[in-house]
Amino acid sequence: MFKKNMASLMVMIFILVSFSMAFASEGPGGNDRKGKYTYRKVFKACAKTGEVESATPKISPADKTMGQWQEIFENKNFDEFGCKDNWTELPDKDVLDIYSYFYNHASDSPSPATCK
Amino acid sequence: MKTNKVKILLLAMLAGLILLTGCTPTQTVKTAETVKKDTSWMFNDIVDATFVKAHIAVPMPKNVMMIDARPYKGKYAKGHIPGAVSIPFSQFDKKTNLLPKDKNTLLIYYCEGVKCKLSHKSAKKAVKLGYTNVKVYAKGYPEWISLKGNYGSYDAEHVAKLIEDNNAVIVDARPLKTKFVKGHIPTALSIPFSQFDTLKGKLPRDLNTPVVFYCGGLKCKLSHKSAAKALALGYTNVKVFDKGYPEWKKIYGASNKTMQVKAGTEEGSIDLELFKSIIANNPDSIMLIDVRDADEFAQGSFKTAINIPVEDLESKIKSFPTDKPIVFVCATGARSGEAFYMTKDVREALKDVYYVEAQIDFKADGKFEIKKSI
Repeated sequence: MFKKNMASLMVMIFILVSFSMAFASEGPGGNDRKGKYTYRKVFKACAKTGEVESATPKISPADKTMGQWQEIFENKNFDEFGCKDNWTELPDKDVLDIYSYFYNHASDSPSPATCK
Repeated sequence: MKTNKVKILLLAMLAGLILLTGCTPTQTVKTAETVKKDTSWMFNDIVDATFVKAHIAVPMPKNVMMIDARPYKGKYAKGHIPGAVSIPFSQFDKKTNLLPKDKNTLLIYYCEGVKCKLSHKSAKKAVKLGYTNVKVYAKGYPEWISLKGNYGSYDAEHVAKLIEDNNAVIVDARPLKTKFVKGHIPTALSIPFSQFDTLKGKLPRDLNTPVVFYCGGLKCKLSHKSAAKALALGYTNVKVFDKGYPEWKKIYGASNKTMQVKAGTEEGSIDLELFKSIIANNPDSIMLIDVRDADEFAQGSFKTAINIPVEDLESKIKSFPTDKPIVFVCATGARSGEAFYMTKDVREALKDVYYVEAQIDFKADGKFEIKKSI
């Protein structure tokens, strides 16, 4: 009886660990390296129009959690960033890459972004 | 009765003696006849290594031609006397156009040693064509390569194979600024002969590592001078690629056709094991750009890396050279990845661009640790 219970417990633990690992590795699925470059490029272009003062973006992925970025990007609510026209012009693929950059380097991600 | 017995004994002894004396000379003659070699296949004018050394030079004198009569692929390409022309005996008739017009030119044929007939047969054919000064270096390549101070020469395709197998250190002996940076054999180290003594530390520590020197072709002495210096340093496996960069360029082009930098799993990333191998063996074969900030770079980086912080990179991309692959590095792959995409965006035509997708921990003592990104 004890052996049966132990076996069941082990199976449960295995399922739970696998489940959490699967979800932990799940992200937006874009290219976060490319997203970082595209994000900076957006701000460079935006700075040229004079909408923002600095070409260096002020918002960093580590400013929010993965869940918060998920909410922002899934709702396409980019007001906080400014440069509305530039965001609107971005192809979906580029937005996905930027989302991946923010999500993968969020404050509660395994590798939060530093200021670099 | 007794006298008769003595007589019979004496006669028997005499007969035995006659038999002995009569047989022995006959047997000796037969042995000599068996041992006597048939030398009719040999050419009548044989020379030794001293004669060869006295007559060949770099560049080869106009009135001398050294000819390798062995097969090209199996023998000549893998090692020949520097400056020798390949005219395999099997192709003698097809390649008579390679022979000099002046029939008084000294032709020295060689092949694979004393038992090899190819050089002798070729020499006889040359005489039939009217050449008046034909010699055979009968001990050929096996003796040549065994003599102290001598070294062989590879052909381009063998050099390409060595590069592909990562089996030798290739050294460009030409001047850096006027020649090397304008184009060189992939993975080659630049050790200009004029700076050999100061840059010899770039050569491998293991003296048994194969080292191949090259320069500007058959008229260029720099690779030979460098090879002599390497031999003097104790390197045991020294070769030259006598036809040098002009031949390489002719066959493989100025770009790298034989050595493609293997991509890693992430877009634009370099295969990590290959990167480690390049850093260990041929760091000069890539343009390594550390895109971290200057203060980070000052605390430690790769020896051959140059520092261009990613913030300053964009304006410099247009001036990047195209003669070797460009690899960006940083501490995590984030900034180097950004540098990669920036380069692709600014200068799309630049194809050989990569970044290192890994965690790199640079130590103060110049060492570093590379770990795969999580």
